[in-house]
Amino acid sequence: MSFEQIIVSGGSGEQLEEAELSLLETLDHVLNRGLVIAGEITISVADIDLIFLGLNVMLSSVETAQEVLRKRQAQAE
Amino acid sequence: MKLYVYCLVEGGVGLPRDVQGVGGATVRLLSGETLSLLVSDFALDAVPVSRENVLQHAAVVQSVLASTTPLPFRFGTLVTEQQLRSYVDAKYEALKAKLEQVSGCVEMSVKIILDREWIEEPATNIGHEKPGTAFLSEKRRELLGGEARLEEAKRVAEWLEGQMREVVREIQISKNPTDKLILATAHLVERDRLKYYRTLINEARQQRPELHFLVSGPWAPYSFANIDLEFKTQFGVS
Repeated sequence: MSFEQIIVSGGSGEQLEEAELSLLETLDHVLNRGLVIAGEITISVADIDLIFLGLNVMLSSVETAQEVLRKRQAQAE
Repeated sequence: MKLYVYCLVEGGVGLPRDVQGVGGATVRLLSGETLSLLVSDFALDAVPVSRENVLQHAAVVQSVLASTTPLPFRFGTLVTEQQLRSYVDAKYEALKAKLEQVSGCVEMSVKIILDREWIEEPATNIGHEKPGTAFLSEKRRELLGGEARLEEAKRVAEWLEGQMREVVREIQISKNPTDKLILATAHLVERDRLKYYRTLINEARQQRPELHFLVSGPWAPYSFANIDLEFKTQFGVS
């Protein structure tokens, strides 16, 4: 999956392209948003089937993304 | 055998080439007169939330986005063909109107982090308060911090809206900021104005260096695909 633009910017204005961010953003979009046919979202997580009348999974993707970046920076130092 | 549903498109749109559906299934077009749906057969009773499946769902929708603007379904939509046809028949007018509304546009996602301590009132008496008082004081500080965070989120949202107004057709804003993520917003942008959109976003980033931006896109209009809320509002059903 690739996007034209994935930018994380901090105070220094750096730009990073990260597969992890792409996946997190994809999760945020496909799991949280989009057309819903009432009662027909059927997903399974860790072998437990979950049926959501209105699927409302909230992923704080930015915070997770920042954690990924922090770990990467720590490893690089 | 159920159908896994990816997105809805205007009738006459062709099937994208070289794209695999969830579980490696063949993607096909369920054609109607004016609306069509991209679907694939799905043998299981539930769709596992795996990296591969999520990316395949997104890839199918994204491949359509290359040529037209689809209305994407949420991951995990499994229905019979009869259920799907009933849904489209029942919601036909709303679906058609929504497709027209997003026509020629893509979604850009902007998330903003402000890494700041949100508890505004200093805890001066920690260690000297009685347990019950300490608990109430902590709760009060949390409430004040939450209010400050919401106020700041509102200010940033208004500022960003002002920066992007001339290039954004529609905006969706998250109402539940977490500690650091103060704003999650989706912009509906006309395709031929994307370059200008990026220019304005870059200018905004330079204006507020204390804010951390995560900008992604272009996406299919996932955040603008909800027709049910509009119908409920329109007909006064709570």
